[in-house]
Amino acid sequence: MKNIKNYIILISLFVSGIINAQNVEFKRSNFKDNIDDYKTATDAIDKGVEHFEKGSLAIFEVRNSGLHFKKALQQFQIAQELNSENALNNFRIGVCYIHSSSPYKAIPYIEKAYQLNPECDPFLYYYHGNALQLKEEFDAALTSYQKFEENYRKADNFGKFVTMRKRECGYAKTFKADPVRCWVDNVGTLNTEYDEIAPTITTDGSEITFSSNRPNGHEQNEVGEYDHDIYTSLNTNGKWQKVHPIKGSVNSNLDDIVNNLSYDGTKMLLHKDNEGQIDIYETTLNGANWSTPELMHFQISTKRTNDMYASYNHDGYNIYFSRGNENLSKGTNIMYSGMQSMIEKDFKAATTINQVNSKFNDGPIYMHIDGKTMYLASQGHESIGGYDIFVSTRKQGSWTKPVNLGYPINTPYDDFFFAGTANGKYAYISSNRPNGKGGFDIYKVTYWGEPKKPIIDMEDYLLASIAEPIKDPQIEEVVSVNKVSLTVFKGKTIDALTGKAVEANIEITDNESGKLIERFTTNSASGKFLLSLTAGTNYGIAVKADGYLFHSENFDVPKGSAYNLINKVIELKNIEVGSKIALRNIFFDVGKATLRSESNSELDRLVKLLKEVPSLKVEISGHTDNTGSATINDQLSQERADAVVTYLKGKGVNAGRLTSKGYGSRQPISSNSTSKGRQENRRTEFEIIEN
Amino acid sequence: MIKRKTIFVGVCIFAFSTLGFSQELTEKEQAYMDSINAENAQNETTAASQEAYNKGISLFEQKSYIKAINSFEESIKLDPNFTAAYYNKGISENEARRFDQAAKTLSLLLEKDPSYSKAYFQRARAFQGSGEYTKAELDYKKSIEIDPENPNAYYNYGTLQFLQKDYDKAIQSFTTTIEKGGNLAYAYNDRASCHRMKGDYAKAVSDYEQAQKKNPNLAFVLNNIGTTKLKMENFDGAMAAFNHAISIDKNFHLAYNNRGAAQMDRGKLDEALADFEKCIAVNNKYAPAYTNIAAVKYKKEDYKGAKVAADKAIKLDKDYASAYVNRGMINEMLRDMNAACEDWQKAKELGSESGEQYASQNCGF
Repeated sequence: MKNIKNYIILISLFVSGIINAQNVEFKRSNFKDNIDDYKTATDAIDKGVEHFEKGSLAIFEVRNSGLHFKKALQQFQIAQELNSENALNNFRIGVCYIHSSSPYKAIPYIEKAYQLNPECDPFLYYYHGNALQLKEEFDAALTSYQKFEENYRKADNFGKFVTMRKRECGYAKTFKADPVRCWVDNVGTLNTEYDEIAPTITTDGSEITFSSNRPNGHEQNEVGEYDHDIYTSLNTNGKWQKVHPIKGSVNSNLDDIVNNLSYDGTKMLLHKDNEGQIDIYETTLNGANWSTPELMHFQISTKRTNDMYASYNHDGYNIYFSRGNENLSKGTNIMYSGMQSMIEKDFKAATTINQVNSKFNDGPIYMHIDGKTMYLASQGHESIGGYDIFVSTRKQGSWTKPVNLGYPINTPYDDFFFAGTANGKYAYISSNRPNGKGGFDIYKVTYWGEPKKPIIDMEDYLLASIAEPIKDPQIEEVVSVNKVSLTVFKGKTIDALTGKAVEANIEITDNESGKLIERFTTNSASGKFLLSLTAGTNYGIAVKADGYLFHSENFDVPKGSAYNLINKVIELKNIEVGSKIALRNIFFDVGKATLRSESNSELDRLVKLLKEVPSLKVEISGHTDNTGSATINDQLSQERADAVVTYLKGKGVNAGRLTSKGYGSRQPISSNSTSKGRQENRRTEFEIIEN
Repeated sequence: MIKRKTIFVGVCIFAFSTLGFSQELTEKEQAYMDSINAENAQNETTAASQEAYNKGISLFEQKSYIKAINSFEESIKLDPNFTAAYYNKGISENEARRFDQAAKTLSLLLEKDPSYSKAYFQRARAFQGSGEYTKAELDYKKSIEIDPENPNAYYNYGTLQFLQKDYDKAIQSFTTTIEKGGNLAYAYNDRASCHRMKGDYAKAVSDYEQAQKKNPNLAFVLNNIGTTKLKMENFDGAMAAFNHAISIDKNFHLAYNNRGAAQMDRGKLDEALADFEKCIAVNNKYAPAYTNIAAVKYKKEDYKGAKVAADKAIKLDKDYASAYVNRGMINEMLRDMNAACEDWQKAKELGSESGEQYASQNCGF
């Protein structure tokens, strides 16, 4: 029933809001039918205001506000559930969030309060400026701060905060216009919705140690929060692995905040917050476990002060840390104390480092391994809002003015702690900027370094021969392929009548070229000869022997291994009257009596015979096969015989020794029924008719 | 020299018995017959070697160099004394850029016939191609000693000296080439490049222009003029030269690439990107253009697009240091430092100074 009533009130408030955003006061008249709710809301507000004022005072005095804003927030949220349209309650919730670890949650409440009634609280303009600053709307924030100054008439010291905020906006505009070349990435595997702070890493970057108030099984405080414990994670292939509580007896029911690992990873500084008494401790690594922390020397941790955020320097002899007074009413300042004796482990009185301290909280501190660089967090200096991280370097014995590490490492939110790698490429920080996992998270800063210029490659053919190579001299030329094949030509010369061996002179001629290929004499005893001839040629062979008729014939030597041997028996005839010799190497044009030039060798041998044997009288006779008419054959054979006689006469043979006769086909020497026989019958003969 | 088989004609006269003459051969006749058959077999092998040799020449002329090498190899196998086949095989291997093999082939040839003077020139080219500059130098000297009027020997010797960064001697060699009437456009171009390497850009441009006069159709000469003028910070002159080179040969990818680089120098990222893309349109295997596209897109903060281009460049040439350098930068901006450091480390291994610098500055702890 109660819920339904609340629903009706909210609906009515919502409708009025649509018409015109209107501030709804926590008045009885606005809770006519819900008196209990009215009482609940106003009681909660009263309780909340009590804590709210204490928290605000702590802020004013630059000290830790403790749980006041958290307690106040719990109460204001009770009232908010019953009436969300009250400007002042929205404002107060916003302020509580501003001072929480999730300040971005303040923005919608502050803006709503401003919308409902900008005059609801004298500090609204100031916190509206804060909200706009968090949204990085720095000009608008400055306008709100200006309005606050115009309307705030109290002669207290609050003006220093406004001045600081205005300066922050100015710095923020400058730094944001020239951002640092880096990535700032939430390290998701380390973070939770709770707070993760105080990262510190080993020099080799393989292990990170930090503190978190994630649930740890301890008793929760009044606002349901757990105390901080120290956790660790290992890096494998660039990825942080599952988080574990630090091993050993370091973690307690108090807030255990890791401060700094020694460079060799064997010692660790931490501070513990024991109900407002903050002291620095040191623990050492024994095997895999950290020892029970020991309170640092009294020069570093005293009961009169709150000491925290300690850092070893590069050689381990100096401890740098932050110190506040008993109730932290003047903020914290950075100090250092030098070791007097390694054996006694006693330290000299701590000294404030004025150059790096501001009017606001200064610290945590991180001393770089180079021994001359200090990273420090501060709410002062040139902060762009909340804590920012700064760097100072030691020059000629003193520390330089801290320089803001710049945007986006620093934001209008709280950015603090700094653990850098030795090469300066990476650093780990804590920040409560928005879009994290909640509260403070650990962020990894990856510096890009100096601007990198991408490589543009050009290419030339500086040597022309690369573009088009010189090809001189050219390759050797083609050769004519010499497919020579030889055939063995063997034979013998014998007397045609007796068969006895006859020593004879033989001339072999290439009929095509007319070249004399070979001239030799056959064996006198056997008449044998043996020679090789190039295959694929038509040869003429002429055989002469004393007392014998001249012998001639032509023959082909075919190509191919099947024809690599030719055997020939040459029968020679005595020069007796009546002897007839067929002249086989006399050729005529087909059907004509025109002598072809291939005949000349044979004819010249006949001329030579007639000149050598002047007594010879011969008849040159022409013969055909029986193809065609006898008349034509007779005529052709006569004309061919005449042609031979004419040739012989032309070569100086007396005409009286020569007779020509055409026999046509009448004197065959072979059968006309076969082509071979007809070829043999087509011939020119000479017959010795007188000797 | 080709071994020419003379036609064998021999006559053997034997004191055979006067008795019967059969087809069967006597022992001596058979021996003679066997020698003729052996001769025929040898002739057949020689002819096959010559045919393979001629086929090799035909393949060479068709620019089928690998097949030509195989054909010449077959010719040599059939006739191991066929010196011309060795020579042509060596030239084919040079053309196929198998310089090591070419040097071996030509060395074999010179072992068989030390007077085969042309082989020194070709073997020098082979040694030059395989980076054995000392041996190449000896062969070029030998080649010049044998034929002091051959301008090409001076020219190639000059290119060798250029590669050895002995620019003064290279200038002398190219000058001799010019005096002896060699390929003037080439010699002027290469002498210009010597001047350029010595930082004398004015002389370089002058010689490049001479080369261009000798042969106005050589786009690469105009490209060289362009890149030299860029070094002289004569942007307009460089652009004019690149444009001229492209007008001569619209498929000359280097001119597009270099014009893109010039545009990049002037911060004209869109124009540069267009030119690099044209370069790839002409030659999609040209890795530097992809690297350059990666660079432009990096500058335009299109890191994903840049990575695609750098990946392509590396796919085309896995030993391309610049591509690894650029991809490392891209990976850094894609927040993948492990990949970035792998790339810079690889670039460092490939000899890149930038890779070494970035790896040392950005990797490790």
